[in-house]
Amino acid sequence: MTAGISGEFVAFFLLSLITLGGAVFMLSFTRVVHMVVALAFSFLGLAGLYVMLEAEFVAFSQVLIYAGAVSILMLFGIMLTRHDVDEEEQDRRRRHRTFAFVAVLALFVALFKGIVALVPAGEGKLAEANTLEIGKALFTKYVIPFELVSVLLLVALVGAIVLARKEGHDA
Amino acid sequence: MIEYINNYVLVSIFVLLGLLLPVAALTLGRFLRPHRPTPEKGKPYESGVEPTGSSWVRYNVRYYLFALLFVIFDVETVFLYPWAVAYNQLGLFALVEVLIFIALLLIGLVYAWKKKVLTWT
Repeated sequence: MTAGISGEFVAFFLLSLITLGGAVFMLSFTRVVHMVVALAFSFLGLAGLYVMLEAEFVAFSQVLIYAGAVSILMLFGIMLTRHDVDEEEQDRRRRHRTFAFVAVLALFVALFKGIVALVPAGEGKLAEANTLEIGKALFTKYVIPFELVSVLLLVALVGAIVLARKEGHDA
Repeated sequence: MIEYINNYVLVSIFVLLGLLLPVAALTLGRFLRPHRPTPEKGKPYESGVEPTGSSWVRYNVRYYLFALLFVIFDVETVFLYPWAVAYNQLGLFALVEVLIFIALLLIGLVYAWKKKVLTWT
């Protein structure tokens, strides 16, 4: 890539703007439904960034699961609960801000160190057809984790049913 | 690499068109339609009866289970994509693996069915 403003740079800038803007708006909105919409933008921006990194499979799982399913799940969660904007709540939030900042900073440092330790320096090379490569790796090298995922999903499903049914009987 | 980027230029053109069309249609409608709001027009429609209470209602928890079932089977679908793409190179063993995977999730669905989550009483 030549120096200066290339198409890739512009795309990266726009996608980062969408991702970070979505996250910032999500934190600053006061109504939960608006928050979910902002979060959906953040998810889509991230998917775009994955596409730019040539990780197409991850990008489309991101769209399918996060932008699609998780956003819907959050909307359902909002529909089921009560959300009156509480003055007292707002006040408490403001007081917790410093504490939250310290916690977020600690998380950032931990994640950053972890990622730096994990990824070797320099540019990696991804396979051209990475869905195919993931498929091959998943069903030869990582068969056991793959089957464990289905057990995990089953446990999540049954657990949710048990919890929701109990609530349903009480109400 | 260049081909890859060019493919996504096409994708972004489609995304832009998809965003532009509804925005353009709604903006055009705003200029074309008459704008005479009255308080009666702004009310939510409840079969001609005066609406009472706030528009914010809490829904039954059962809706959440449908959303959750959707998410779980969505995750399952994502795992099936790489299998489908690599199917020709994987053969019978992978087919059995996927059948086990689907069967385990079907157990969950049957459990939900038996617990009458899917029926509406």
